[in-house]
Amino acid sequence: MKTFQYERPADADTAVALLADAPTGAYLGGGTNLVDLMKLGVAAPDLLVDVSRLPFDAVEETGTGGLRIGAAVRNSTLAVHPLVRERYPVLSQALLSGASTQLRNAATVGGNLLQRTRCPYFQDVGKPCNKRRPGTGCPAREGAHRDLAVLGASEHCVATNPSDMAVALAALDAIVDVASGHGPRRVPLTDLHRLPGDAPDRDTTLRHGELITAVELPPPMPGARSAYRKARDRASYAFALASVGAVLQVREGLVHHVRVAFGALAAKPWRARTAEEALLGEPATTASFDDAVRHELAAARPLRDNGYKVPLARRMAVSMLTELAAASAGGTP
Amino acid sequence: MAGTTRTPTNLTQGAKADAGIGASTLRPDGTLKVTGEFAYSSDMWHEDMLWGFTLRSPHAHARILSVDTSDALAQAGVYAVLTHDDLPTEHKKYGLEFTDTPVLADGVVRHHGEPVALVAADHPETARRAAAKIKVEYEELPVVHDEASALAEDAPLLHPGRDDHHAHEVPHPNIVHRQPIIRGDANAAARRADVIVTGEYEVGMQDQAFLGPESGLAVPGEDGGVDLYVATQWLHSDLRQIAPVLGLPEEKVRMTLSGVGGAFGGREDLSMQIHACLLALRTGKPVKIVYNRFESFFGHVHRHPAKLWYEHGATRDGKLTHMKCRIVLDGGAYASASPAVVGNASSLSVGPYVIEDVEIEAVALYTNNPPCGAMRGFGAVQACFAYEAQMDKVAAELGMDPVEFRQLNAMTQGTIMPTGQVVDSPAPVAELLRRVKALPLPPENQWESAGQTADVRALPGGLSNTTHGEGVVRGVGYAVGIKNVGFSEGFDDYSTARVRLEVVAGEPVATVHTAMAEVGQGGVTVHAQIARTELGVQQVTIHPADTQVGSAGSTSASRQTYMTGGAVKNTCEAVRDKALQLGRRRFGTFHPAWATAELLLEGGKVVTDGGEVLADLADVLGDDVVDLELEFRHRPTEAFDIVTGQGFGHVQYSFAAHRAVVEVDTELGLVKVVELACAQDVGKALNPLSVVGQIQGGTTQGLGLAVMEEIIVDPKSKVRNPSFTDYLIPTILDTPTIPVDVLELADDHAPYGLRGIGEAPTLSSTPAVVSAIRAATGLALKRVPVRPEHITGV
Ligand SMILES: Cc1cc2nc3c(=O)[nH]c(=O)nc-3n(C[C@H](O)[C@H](O)[C@H](O)COP(=O)(O)OP(=O)(O)OC[C@H]3O[C@@H](n4cnc5c(N)ncnc54)[C@H](O)[C@@H]3O)c2cc1C
Ligand code: SF4
Repeated sequence: MKTFQYERPADADTAVALLADAPTGAYLGGGTNLVDLMKLGVAAPDLLVDVSRLPFDAVEETGTGGLRIGAAVRNSTLAVHPLVRERYPVLSQALLSGASTQLRNAATVGGNLLQRTRCPYFQDVGKPCNKRRPGTGCPAREGAHRDLAVLGASEHCVATNPSDMAVALAALDAIVDVASGHGPRRVPLTDLHRLPGDAPDRDTTLRHGELITAVELPPPMPGARSAYRKARDRASYAFALASVGAVLQVREGLVHHVRVAFGALAAKPWRARTAEEALLGEPATTASFDDAVRHELAAARPLRDNGYKVPLARRMAVSMLTELAAASAGGTP
Repeated sequence: MAGTTRTPTNLTQGAKADAGIGASTLRPDGTLKVTGEFAYSSDMWHEDMLWGFTLRSPHAHARILSVDTSDALAQAGVYAVLTHDDLPTEHKKYGLEFTDTPVLADGVVRHHGEPVALVAADHPETARRAAAKIKVEYEELPVVHDEASALAEDAPLLHPGRDDHHAHEVPHPNIVHRQPIIRGDANAAARRADVIVTGEYEVGMQDQAFLGPESGLAVPGEDGGVDLYVATQWLHSDLRQIAPVLGLPEEKVRMTLSGVGGAFGGREDLSMQIHACLLALRTGKPVKIVYNRFESFFGHVHRHPAKLWYEHGATRDGKLTHMKCRIVLDGGAYASASPAVVGNASSLSVGPYVIEDVEIEAVALYTNNPPCGAMRGFGAVQACFAYEAQMDKVAAELGMDPVEFRQLNAMTQGTIMPTGQVVDSPAPVAELLRRVKALPLPPENQWESAGQTADVRALPGGLSNTTHGEGVVRGVGYAVGIKNVGFSEGFDDYSTARVRLEVVAGEPVATVHTAMAEVGQGGVTVHAQIARTELGVQQVTIHPADTQVGSAGSTSASRQTYMTGGAVKNTCEAVRDKALQLGRRRFGTFHPAWATAELLLEGGKVVTDGGEVLADLADVLGDDVVDLELEFRHRPTEAFDIVTGQGFGHVQYSFAAHRAVVEVDTELGLVKVVELACAQDVGKALNPLSVVGQIQGGTTQGLGLAVMEEIIVDPKSKVRNPSFTDYLIPTILDTPTIPVDVLELADDHAPYGLRGIGEAPTLSSTPAVVSAIRAATGLALKRVPVRPEHITGV
């Protein structure tokens, strides 16, 4: 690991100012991803600005009945927060399905959103990788890519975003609050991460030094149901092979509001907008869910070894939406 | 069938107060380990010590054009940088069976992660950074990564000019070893078959995944020698390989076992031993090397991945007619234990069945993949997965119950193995199957019993919430396996024990000194139990394992309780005889029984076989010390004939059977193993609690291979998941209940009639789980680990 300077500022302004002057510095949350990458030599910041103890550790109701989640809130705290459990089950379930208790105790909301891909070549500095070193090539296409993207990839990169939480937030239409020297701005969660295109080194639309301060959730839709499902290689403590988060509101048997987001299929949480549009106003039945999701996943372009993700994602989505519809009809929460 | 059965519950409760053999004595190291107080080899520290670091190859096959260490040496805090050119003697290679592994790369690197250079510095981070400054220029070479590329006409040779003892027999220099076994006439027998079933199977590369990474500390001695404290499986085998490279006589390389955090075969080969010694001798300072998890994946050999082709025939009435098989094991860049793995895979390829006409071939390849060698059950694990899949297939073809079919063909005592060896001790194969089958099945839909909402922990997908019971199908599968115990094929396999009996503070005390590596198997516990039983003492001191006493052989091949346990027993008996001689001299005139009766040592006293007490052992010993060091050998074996495979190759066989109950989410391809019951014949349970622990551990490791554990090696022969984040081992949530049924049928050739037990449960666990998944899904499933995509298809 390279030597680095460590600062723990007391407020956001100082944090932002520190990083503004340090072009190769980085914010530090729980460190569960960044420190690993530093050990592997993948990240080599010369300054770490610890933001895990900034006063962004609250979960509060907003004036409109939504929820504001500070960026330093730990994953474990958020997962069991009563308001999250009650109103946003998809978020609670997504968090609890991620990593392990110990990791969730350390991991922060901000850090979770910006964790980097698990692509094995990205993590091995001995290998070329367009994300780590632009222009060196993408060995994953021909190499080991069972876990990698089937949607929205480019010839330059087929990495996936590994976060479970981000998938739930995408389905919840969350907004990310960002601070910087240029003042605060708000970024819809779905615009935070980007597809690789020809610049796979840029995971997100954030600029250097921008600090995530909070995530805001709109008020829950009355009567809507939400849930998260994840397929993985063992019963706990493993990244997703495919996952899905959804919010569904049914009125008189018809889909009134629906949000579906897939995880582990693309470089960003994949909002299934095609499926959502197709479903609006349709009967909330397995057949229409299946139709819509097939439509969505028709865009998939699997590689040699990851085509299994498509049926996996589809089956999880259809059966979960069916269950959510049944719960709406039956009135169970 | 005779024999007593014990369930885990009555095993623990059955512990005898006297803590001799047969008691479930608790482990002296157990509490320390679970409370984090046990000192592992990585915890060692020495005043003024340096830290060693290994620079490894980023390529699987490359020529080294140049190495420039000047920048690294110029770093403040760096004491030494060593490359192949700095090796002190003409012995620049080592190896378990062939001396083919360079201590440091010799101008060519043959696998990803091969050691190229060493650095010693005053801080581990300084050493790491200095290593990064070593400039190595590589020219990449084409890789050999499977049978086709290894045997292609223009295949690069991994080791041109081989001079090992198998070199002249192998059909191609990229074949480490080939063992055919021919018995009877398989083609003629095939004509009697009513059904013939063939199948191709594949086993992925499993890692031992021990928790304590490779580590050790080398301290230079004033005599020019070195003291090495290290976590290993066989001190004397290490010593034999280390000393010549250092240019030292073996007496000047003094080795002591330090805390071992698991092994499973992964510590049979050397890792950092020579490196630390070289650095210590070069710098004149103690040098510690500790691998981290990432490096550990490159620091030890793995289980051989295998491709297996089988053909079985059977008559309508369910009798197997013949078997043909071909087993191709990927040995990777260096031989390691490959020859022995080939020996086991071929000689045990028939499984625990009676088949008189066989045609068997097993080979191990040299490739540029990671070196593979010893791992729990080696050779037999791969074969068992394939032959048990075949047994299910033949039974299905005949319309027979798979357990009944196996029982009909099960070997028994007296069966002749394909090698011509007669199985000359109990082989309760049919009985073990009967026992696992007779156990009650776990209740259906267990996830519902918890109340209203489904308990997802009892469902496939676990906490991922993927199903609440819909799409879930139960399957039940069976398997049984056979493993050899001890070192085979004519190897002079022995263990040494030194036992000292004396009076300390008025009480007789035994000290047991062996070089046995305690790697978690419980040897130190059992040795004390044996000494108590044989010498009738309460107090037993286990001396630290080191090379000041003769070799104990390897803690592997399920052999240590048999072999070093046997050595302790033997030496204790000789010590007892000496003590009784002392007694006769001192007290013989006082009681005629000294001369006439069979005398025993019990409860600190000399007693007759009729129970009469003759004297206190403490009085018998007085100020005398009885101290003996003796070797113990199992009966000799012989090599398998290189053409026919005939030969008395194995010392003892060990058998276990499993029944797996799984629930499969057929939609998503997720598997929950609900229960994995095991029945095993252990001959004699010296420590019943340890026996159950070994069986449960082996069973779980087999489950790991069945559904998740695999080192991913990409088409360029590079390891892609060297971390516990990406190499998955079962968590407790993946681990089912494991009821254990222990059978004790004595093997008269073995001490106390015991049977080596460590490996057998690893064999049948994997095929039982996969058989159950097949039963639930109707799929053929020819490869382990079984992944979701194998169940769902694309
Ligand atoms: C073994 C293992 C298993 C895992 N399994 C899962 C899993 O199943 N599902 C899953 O979703 N995740 C999983 N994870 C990943 C884990 O969730 C992330 O490591 C964690 O959420 C990152 O949070 P952190 O606070 O530790 O981030 P850090 O490591 O501290 O930071 C990550 C990145 O975010 C940046 N950053 C941190 N805070 C801010 C901020 N406020 N503003 C701007 N930038 C910031 C850092 O500079 C860094 O680039 C696993 C991790 C491990 C090690
Ligand atoms: S997929 Fe992306 S992260 Fe992986 S090797 Fe290719 S460029 Fe790098």
